[in-house]
Amino acid sequence: MPRKPSEQALRNRAYWDRTSDEYQERHREFIGRGEPCWGIWQVPESELNVLGEVAGKDVLELGCGAAQWSILLALSGARVVGLDNSERQLGHASELMAGSGVDFPLVHASAEDVPLPDESFDVVFCDHGAFTFSDPYRTVPEATRLLRPQGLLVFSKSSAFAAVCEGPGEKIDRALHRDYFGLHELDDGEAVTYELAYGEWIRLFRANGLVIEDLIEPRPLPDAESTYWDAEERDWARRWPSESIWKARKSA
Amino acid sequence: MSHAEDALKNRQVWTKANAEYTDRRARDAWASEEIEWGMYSGPEAGLDALGALEGKDVIELGCGTGYFGAWLAKRGARVVGIDITPAQLETARRLQEETGLDLEFIEGSAEDVPLPDASFDLAISEYGASIWCDPELWIAEASRLLRPGGRLVFLCNSTLSVLCSPDEGKVEERLMRSQADLGRIEWPGENEGVNYHLTHGEWIRVLRANGLAVEALHERLAPDDAEDHGYYDFMPADWARRWAAEEVWVATKAL
Repeated sequence: MPRKPSEQALRNRAYWDRTSDEYQERHREFIGRGEPCWGIWQVPESELNVLGEVAGKDVLELGCGAAQWSILLALSGARVVGLDNSERQLGHASELMAGSGVDFPLVHASAEDVPLPDESFDVVFCDHGAFTFSDPYRTVPEATRLLRPQGLLVFSKSSAFAAVCEGPGEKIDRALHRDYFGLHELDDGEAVTYELAYGEWIRLFRANGLVIEDLIEPRPLPDAESTYWDAEERDWARRWPSESIWKARKSA
Repeated sequence: MSHAEDALKNRQVWTKANAEYTDRRARDAWASEEIEWGMYSGPEAGLDALGALEGKDVIELGCGTGYFGAWLAKRGARVVGIDITPAQLETARRLQEETGLDLEFIEGSAEDVPLPDASFDLAISEYGASIWCDPELWIAEASRLLRPGGRLVFLCNSTLSVLCSPDEGKVEERLMRSQADLGRIEWPGENEGVNYHLTHGEWIRVLRANGLAVEALHERLAPDDAEDHGYYDFMPADWARRWAAEEVWVATKAL
């Protein structure tokens, strides 16, 4: 039996249902490119090669939004399932899928409690998705459960250092605004996001039997533009790690 | 500068530090009944970073005055310490004679250790090779020296603390240097040496590239009642209570 979604998951569902249209409108062109790209700076997967070959693999995207990533992976031959906590986001996903001529299952659920069977995926991933908006203490065990032995967990999110340096108005600067110890739930009144210290991520992976393969900290190009961060924030991200892409593998 | 020139400079730093501090501190340090990590003495008992020690062959890379190895020797480990600074090794050997503990000390660099492959169960470094040697070289050496299933445990300054360090003076509550400036850092000032500091992602990559699996990263070492350190005064206790000042990495060599 699925558990009742947490209060935080319900708040985030309401937040995304409320803001999805505006979000997709604002970022449509930036994240709707023809190739898979990661994060705030849309660094191409072809440069980072985090996921590797996905053709013929069962892939689950946790927090797929309008499924821009999943559609591209489906076009590359992956058997994809897209999950999102927001029905409105999945409505955008359906539209984009129809426009792209691909079809795959969309699941409306929180990544903290996924209504799919154990060991049914080769890759579980997201790009600023569920590992930002779901509690990692529930989501990492769920992702591990869903992976087959040797399966790959990959997710990108903003970094713990970015969380520490986020000041008033969610602007990032050089001051350490927030304590590093005690990071977990960050509530800005609208939505709840999650961040852990680097060592705590490692502890959580190991406690779930995941072997750590990589931590990629993408750096934007000097002239990079983004619909998420402005030029001042880009200069911060040139100097300090603004994002983390974690890559871990389930033991055999 | 070459690694040899850096080593020369670092030897000068530690010869001076030994005269000022580590020599007079060594007897108390050797006598400690606890195994403690870092400048705020985080207890090993709470971390269990080292695992079982009885009967284990241990190499300490950058052992200084040898107190950390002495703590392990008291628990039944066979310890070899290597360091580039003769003055510190002299202190270590004096304490060894005083205590009767059985350790071996070698003068040399952790970047090129004159010992055979796969001869240790545990490689450790507490502010030794972990910050004073080139990770590309000393991590490779640590991996080479470990037996399959062996463990590497090292303590270094946290990435965030280095990013918040000005060229001179105390760690600040703001970012002071770019991550692009990490790697080899030559601190200005005639009493300063050459360190290596990496980002988290770079540590993971260099460990993995040398066949070491990341097991743990312990970041919370300063207890709530920590007070400013009398000698290593760049890191205020107030800072260390809120942000990670130091970190202990644990990695294992594949079986």
